[in-house]
Amino acid sequence: MSRRARRLLAALGVFAAALVAGTSATVGFGLATGFERSASRAGLPDVIARFDDGAAADVDRRVGALPNLEARSYRYDVRDIRLRFGSQSTRKGILGVLGGGRRGYAVTEGRDVRAPGEVVIERGLARDWDLGPGDRLELGRRFELPVVGVAVAPDNVAFPLTVTPRVWLLPRGRLDEVNVAQLWLADPGRADITLAQARATSFGIGSLEFVTREGIRVLLGQAAGIVISLLVAFSLVALLAAGTMLATGAQADVARRLPAFGVQRALGYSPGRLAARQAAEAAAIAVPAASLGLAAGALAVSGPSGELLAQLNEAPPGWALAPVLALCLVGVVLVVCVAATWPAYRAARRPPAEILRGGDLRPLKRRRGPAGPAAQGAIDVREGERPGRTRSPTLPPLTSASSTAGSRTFGPAAGTAARPTSRLGDGLLATGARFALAARGRWLASVATIAVCAGVVTLMLALAALLERLRDDPGTVGKRYELTARLDPVFIASVRGIDGVAAASPRYQAEVADSYRLGEPLRLIAFPGDHTRFEAPPLASGRRLRGPDEAEVGLGLADALGLRPGSTLAVQAESGAEVRFRVVGVVRALEVDGRLAYVQPDRLIEADATTSATIAIDLDRDADRAAVQRELVALGARVQRPGAATTRNAAFLGVLASVLRGVGLAVGLVCLYALIQALAMTARERRGAVALLRACGADARTVAAVFAGAALVVAVPAAIAGLLLEWLAFGPLVARLAAGYAALPLAPTFGQVALVLGGLVLLAAGATALVARRALREPVVAGLREE
Amino acid sequence: MISARGLVRTFGEGRAARRVLDGTDLDVAPGEIVAVLGRSGSGKSTLLHVLGGLDRPEAGSVAIAGEPVTGIGERRLSALRRRHVGFVFQFFHLLPELDGEANVLLAGRVRGADAGALERGRALVDRLGLRHVAGSFPHQLSGGEQQRFAIARALVNDPEVILADEPTGNLDVQAGADVLALLQELAGEGRAVVMVTHEAAAAGIAHRVLRLADGRLAVA
Repeated sequence: MSRRARRLLAALGVFAAALVAGTSATVGFGLATGFERSASRAGLPDVIARFDDGAAADVDRRVGALPNLEARSYRYDVRDIRLRFGSQSTRKGILGVLGGGRRGYAVTEGRDVRAPGEVVIERGLARDWDLGPGDRLELGRRFELPVVGVAVAPDNVAFPLTVTPRVWLLPRGRLDEVNVAQLWLADPGRADITLAQARATSFGIGSLEFVTREGIRVLLGQAAGIVISLLVAFSLVALLAAGTMLATGAQADVARRLPAFGVQRALGYSPGRLAARQAAEAAAIAVPAASLGLAAGALAVSGPSGELLAQLNEAPPGWALAPVLALCLVGVVLVVCVAATWPAYRAARRPPAEILRGGDLRPLKRRRGPAGPAAQGAIDVREGERPGRTRSPTLPPLTSASSTAGSRTFGPAAGTAARPTSRLGDGLLATGARFALAARGRWLASVATIAVCAGVVTLMLALAALLERLRDDPGTVGKRYELTARLDPVFIASVRGIDGVAAASPRYQAEVADSYRLGEPLRLIAFPGDHTRFEAPPLASGRRLRGPDEAEVGLGLADALGLRPGSTLAVQAESGAEVRFRVVGVVRALEVDGRLAYVQPDRLIEADATTSATIAIDLDRDADRAAVQRELVALGARVQRPGAATTRNAAFLGVLASVLRGVGLAVGLVCLYALIQALAMTARERRGAVALLRACGADARTVAAVFAGAALVVAVPAAIAGLLLEWLAFGPLVARLAAGYAALPLAPTFGQVALVLGGLVLLAAGATALVARRALREPVVAGLREE
Repeated sequence: MISARGLVRTFGEGRAARRVLDGTDLDVAPGEIVAVLGRSGSGKSTLLHVLGGLDRPEAGSVAIAGEPVTGIGERRLSALRRRHVGFVFQFFHLLPELDGEANVLLAGRVRGADAGALERGRALVDRLGLRHVAGSFPHQLSGGEQQRFAIARALVNDPEVILADEPTGNLDVQAGADVLALLQELAGEGRAVVMVTHEAAAAGIAHRVLRLADGRLAVA
């Protein structure tokens, strides 16, 4: 391989690592800072209070009395408004009638509303419907108003991720009634005091619900956190891979240049000077390659990342990303330079005479072959001789009793001694494996790199599949029933009597608030008796509930309220009545981010008789679902399939699953690069051996078989190690990291294992074909000369 | 057995171009040993490479056992080398990861090798007196043993032509003599042997001694 080709290969490695780093930095930084950026730009309020319609003057009187208040504004939100533009329409629109003061949204296109009769629309609606300033939007059936601007309000995700698009306009005259108050606090850190006071003075205001800026940030952060963690881990893996490969490449390069080092050291060059020159050469490759890689990575994902941020109603980082990319550039170049310089420095530190005598960077261990006593005897015979000198063998005649004189055919030898066989055997695959194993350090580095990559790919696949299951399969979140029926619980006996129903139970659900920290909404779920027959999220600590005064709380709620077994959970029902439960267990539940509690229904119904109930129905394995549904409808029920973790965010989970699979594919490409790099190095070092094989008549397939052996001896252990890594380390670690409030089963399935193993074998085949083709393009004599 | 006509091979370009073979002709009969002498850089090894299909001439033709070596594709060239040509090199080119016998058998494991190649290889190890060191790795062998393993490897596919590039150049006198005796035996079996050398002793066993100078062969 020419020096130019070697540089190109090294540059490609740096480019690949930088590409991944650029990708990760762009997505990670965008997601990590997107909410704060867009919240600041929009002037998002610290607290948003929603409540039943009330007189603006009365609400303002109460709000104005709150402590720690810097500014306030009001709005009247009208829900379920029909919006239509061209052929697109929805009946779920929210019309925000603005009451003056701060808006809480940022206009990104056009201008804000100045007069009644014009609207500003949310960016999600503008993007999804291809709507913009100058267009006319139909509101209800009577009005068609001009759109003057497009805005982002980061207190919710964007349409169509949320099914409720928002538009804002000014009222004709004064706003007499309001149902939303936006509060900006002087000290956002003391929001709890303001919220407690607000709750205390909320008498007479119905359906009061608070959303805090911090709460929104945490919720979005939980969704984005998993992606950020994975991307950061992935870019570290890619950098490790590139660093390892560059280090081994540099080592080989240094080994080739040892004689020159020896001469230079003899001429008085210091080791530092030689290392510095190596560093300069590495930097000359790394800086342009890393710059290009980072730029390509950032450009490649800026579109999808922007799309993701837009769905979250967050702003892209823009030029704020530049310093981060610059930092990445410094990091990548530093890794490359250290990887390239260290072997040179180590080599150059040796005495010049020793370098000039030649040899490898490390003294090679004399390997003891598997020679039997016969071989040992041969060595004994040579005792006393100088190395390289030969004893005088008595050659048996080439033509023996078993072969006729003049004939060139050889019969089987009588008395052929059994030769000790090695573990790998002597076939072509085994020979290739020996080539790869000859450089143990590089083999280990390659296996480690590819194993980590394979582990990450498996993790990505497992995670993507899990996200889809969370979206689609209620069983993933511990729901053990197939249908829910909106039906009065008095019909429970009739439901149980339907053919195909294995079990049925009333399921009560109430949205309540924590009595102590009224900003914390939570969900109470109640089943009479043992709820685990129908919903069984895993128990993180404590025990299952046994009586009507006990509760199992979700980990999300336990974290938010500092609850643990033995604590008291006091909740305020919609009726205003307070109910207290003793926490006996903490469960890992994904629904509503774990901010829920399982109780028995008695106390809940006592507190609020209007608590809604459905009937949860578990079907027999061979039940005819359609027949059961027909029977339920005949009883007057509205039948639904139970939702999974976050059915409202189904599209978002789908996008995340696609992003993760994309990342998995990119990591797969790193595997391919690592395999090609390892094989190319082997091919470079063993070009003489390949030339010899070709001189013996080896064709392309034979050479490919040798390289296949070299590839398999790296890929197979790497695949096994990667799967073990995912199973034992990555999966459990990410499950904990991604969602502390839930149990995420991230063990790979058989299909994922097969996909990773098959993929790696395919990648090995591809790398083999590529490297063998290159090796075969070289003239045989060139390889022989080097040998 | 070997027929080469008008071989031309040039290295370098422009003013630096050097024509090491310039219309070289050579014929070698079965059982004949031809020694090619010449100064360093005169093109002896290049001639051997061109004869064995390891290198391609710019002009001229080569045929071995009646099959053309020049003007054919790489696949056919590989098959020709496998069936008809055995190479012996000055530096043995044994693979350090394989023991002596495995090195010999490697040539019999290439795709398309003769079905009896492996058996023949084992027999060769015995016949060349290498059985007691068959399990030793190259670094545990003497130079003479290494060269005999290399010769056994060259013979695994039972070729009609042996092309030896300085086969004794890296050996002491006695080991060199053993190897030359072996080559004589091979020629005695009817194989054509072309040997590049600059050693008088090596040339001594040849039926014909040619000198390569200015790109052409002449009787020495």
